[in-house]
Amino acid sequence: MGLSVENLGFAYAGKTVLQDICFNAPLGKLTVLLGRNGCGKSTLLKVIAGILPLQTGCVLAAGQAIKALSGSERARLIGYLPQFHQTVFPFLVEDVVLTGRAAYVRATPSHRDIEMSRQAMETVGVEHLAGRPYTELSGGERQMVMVARVLAQNPQVILLDEPTAHLDLGNQQQLMRVLKLIVARGTTILAVLHDPNMAFLNADKIIFLNSGRITDPPENCCPWDPSFIESIYGISTVVLPYHDKAVIVPTS
Amino acid sequence: MKILHSHHIPKKHGHTDVLPSCNCRAVYCPALFAFCYLAIVVVLLCTAVASDAAQLSVTDFRGKHITLQKPAKRIVCLIESALSGLYMLGVEQQVVGVSANIYNGSVNTWYAVLDDRIRQKQLPVPGNWDFVSLESVVALKPDLVIIWSQQSESIAALESRGIPVYGVLLTGWEDVYKEMRDLGVLTGREKRASEVVDYTQAEVGHIARRVANIPTTKRPGVYYMWAQGNLETSCGGSTVNDLITLAGGRNVCGSIKSEHLVANMEKVLGWNPDLIVMWYNERKNPGDVIADPQWQSIRAVKNRRVHEFPEHFLCDLWTLKFQFAVKTVAKWANPELFRDVDLKKEKQTMLFKLYGRKIQGM
Amino acid sequence: MLRPAPVIYYLLPFPVLLLSLFIGPGGGVAPADVLQALGHKLALSTLPTDSTLDMAAEVLFNIRLPRICLDFLVGGALAASGTALQAMVRNPLVSPDILGLSSGAAFGAALALTVGWLPLQPSAFFFGLLAAALSYLLAVNRRGLSIVSLVLAGIIIGGMFTALLTIVQIVNDPFKLQTIVHWTMGNLHNASWQRVRSAFLPITTGAAVLFAMRWRMNVLALGDEETRAVGLNPEREKLLLLIPATLAASAAVAVAGIIGMVGLVVPHMVRMLVGPDNTRTLPVSFVFGGTFLVLVDDLARAITTFEVPVGIFTTLIGGPFFIYLLKKSGAGFGETS
Repeated sequence: MGLSVENLGFAYAGKTVLQDICFNAPLGKLTVLLGRNGCGKSTLLKVIAGILPLQTGCVLAAGQAIKALSGSERARLIGYLPQFHQTVFPFLVEDVVLTGRAAYVRATPSHRDIEMSRQAMETVGVEHLAGRPYTELSGGERQMVMVARVLAQNPQVILLDEPTAHLDLGNQQQLMRVLKLIVARGTTILAVLHDPNMAFLNADKIIFLNSGRITDPPENCCPWDPSFIESIYGISTVVLPYHDKAVIVPTS
Repeated sequence: MKILHSHHIPKKHGHTDVLPSCNCRAVYCPALFAFCYLAIVVVLLCTAVASDAAQLSVTDFRGKHITLQKPAKRIVCLIESALSGLYMLGVEQQVVGVSANIYNGSVNTWYAVLDDRIRQKQLPVPGNWDFVSLESVVALKPDLVIIWSQQSESIAALESRGIPVYGVLLTGWEDVYKEMRDLGVLTGREKRASEVVDYTQAEVGHIARRVANIPTTKRPGVYYMWAQGNLETSCGGSTVNDLITLAGGRNVCGSIKSEHLVANMEKVLGWNPDLIVMWYNERKNPGDVIADPQWQSIRAVKNRRVHEFPEHFLCDLWTLKFQFAVKTVAKWANPELFRDVDLKKEKQTMLFKLYGRKIQGM
Repeated sequence: MLRPAPVIYYLLPFPVLLLSLFIGPGGGVAPADVLQALGHKLALSTLPTDSTLDMAAEVLFNIRLPRICLDFLVGGALAASGTALQAMVRNPLVSPDILGLSSGAAFGAALALTVGWLPLQPSAFFFGLLAAALSYLLAVNRRGLSIVSLVLAGIIIGGMFTALLTIVQIVNDPFKLQTIVHWTMGNLHNASWQRVRSAFLPITTGAAVLFAMRWRMNVLALGDEETRAVGLNPEREKLLLLIPATLAASAAVAVAGIIGMVGLVVPHMVRMLVGPDNTRTLPVSFVFGGTFLVLVDDLARAITTFEVPVGIFTTLIGGPFFIYLLKKSGAGFGETS
């Protein structure tokens, strides 16, 4: 169960962006996707989420092949948080979160939809912002609201594209805490992070993407192995152990 | 020129003997008299010729003086009503260019009968009321262009090329008379122009005299309906108002001074006209107005006194044919008073008098 | 959440509509007569034979009432359309004109006025829809409907129809031209039950579909990717907004000419009053737009003997009122984050 991807490929304008992607994000675990800018991480998430079409390969979410699903069926299984947000109108936070229920709503949201949104806001910790206009929030608060929105969708798999990008240290930690809370409840999370250390400290599983292909660290090798890191990011680092994990520090 | 009008050749019989009668010059007197008579005739003829050689001069509606050395021989007429006037003057062969609307609509049938060139679409169209192709006009080498005086840009362009332009602005009957007389001068057909203007004035005068004594209270309330919409009408101080008044009616909105305005339906109900006169309308008939649910309670609709002018050409208020419009409305407004007027006969007489034999049988 | 708009906004039209029945050009029907005629009608009793009372009833039921109904329908259609299109385009600066439908409808009307055998309202309606459809087809491509393309296409198509309109104007004589100009500035003076009937179905159908879509507008307003992420197809949703909005707006323009301000400014006013949540702004826009036009037309009817195009009033009144609201509460838009 969880999320498994087999032989996924994607090309755009004649250029191959992703090739032979095979991996499994285990059920109830936080899987992190790492790689350089432009290696195809966002594209991979978009293909799984259905934003971009699935050209080759197969994706199974909670045991179901997503290719056969309709938009709203897929949305009940997979939630997606994009990297960039656009706001024009000053919607209230609670209305923004409520839009996450679109896959369940016929014409207008029911009491159940409203209740799910409220719970999502509570879980993420933004219920105190419910009545404020979204446009007046700080970057960090907005991000948390967006996470609540994905949660309101009540999916079994959640895809996050660089969720910590605009957050300060405190908010980053808050977010990771929330994500761990979510996986503890049985949801599968696949997140793209820009900071490998964050992955090393929090993730249950790490996948590396290098020029459109999955690259695994060599056998019996930790993901923070300096030579491996150099092959991925092209910089030299030193490893600093931390409990049973480690962080890496770039050397100049 | 004035001499030409007012001179008269003294009749032989009325001639008084200014020479002392002398028995011994019994042979000389008749000879001398004949010589003097011939001399006077020759002098007068020379004056006449000299007058012809004098300039033809008029003031157009802009207040500009237009002077021609001789009658216009190549006329570009961009106003349909003025063109019909030129046909009345009998100078149609001097017309070399016309406006686009001659070839459209109901007037085309009339012009096709009047002129083979129009029937065969041979007369060029260098412009219309709004757009004038300068090149096309100049290519026709006109010596006179007749155009609406508001088309100031086109006029300026033509005059800067030395082409005489006669600008027209009609706001009432007097303007129509002036236009005809001026065109008569410019085409050397003053006599004919006088003839048709006098004829029209007489005909209109007949009607006016007959209705002069009808007090305002006894006149039927008339609502005039333009073709663009039921609520489009003309009020006081307009040619339509003159038409209604001359015909023995009373314009229901005559108290408002406006050439053209859009009335409020409630107001029309309040005016409650006795007679509705529709301008020639391609889309609507009196039956359509009578059937309109919003007009049901109006007296004119209840009594089915809703009439439409039969033709644009016959009733054109901007030409001398407006006399026919006056007669038509007079008959509608006061049918009892004008029972003797036979519109068909009037129409044929008018067409013959204005256009000659050509339109017989239309 | 989803608390309905304060009931006052929905109740607002009733007193306004009632009062409007008493308003008319000066020196016309006395209000007392109107009251009597109304009373008789409501009590379903027959009018006593009295010519003033007959006139009052005639004016009330055949002239004022259809006009007020038409005002409400047209104002509501334009405002609701504006709200829907602003949500779809994610830009508060658009009005129902972005697709060039006003230019198309104006051309259709001018063509009908020139050609003679073409009926006026259907022609305007048809060409309005045609312009919108052309703009859509020009803008849409494989990857979907780009908003920028749509606005550009609307400008181009609108411009083309305006050019065609100008050609028609040149060809016509000065009287027809005047009528065309009058038409393009808004003409409610020809209101009749026939016009109300012809506009009723497209406007109410369009408005009903938009009403059903009112919550989906919130989803769409957050972006194409987000919309797809939560399980809706943004292209389908855009069409589901575009078609009814265009239907209602075209019908409104066909029957009343081009009335400015309502489609652009009323949605803003409503947003300032009830917030941007479309489940409230959409129905309130319809009601507010309709009431606004009824009020403006009341003014137009009362102060002039002859008819002045209502578009003049909506602009001269709506504009300053909008500026006042803007200064007081601010439009409250966020820039893109």
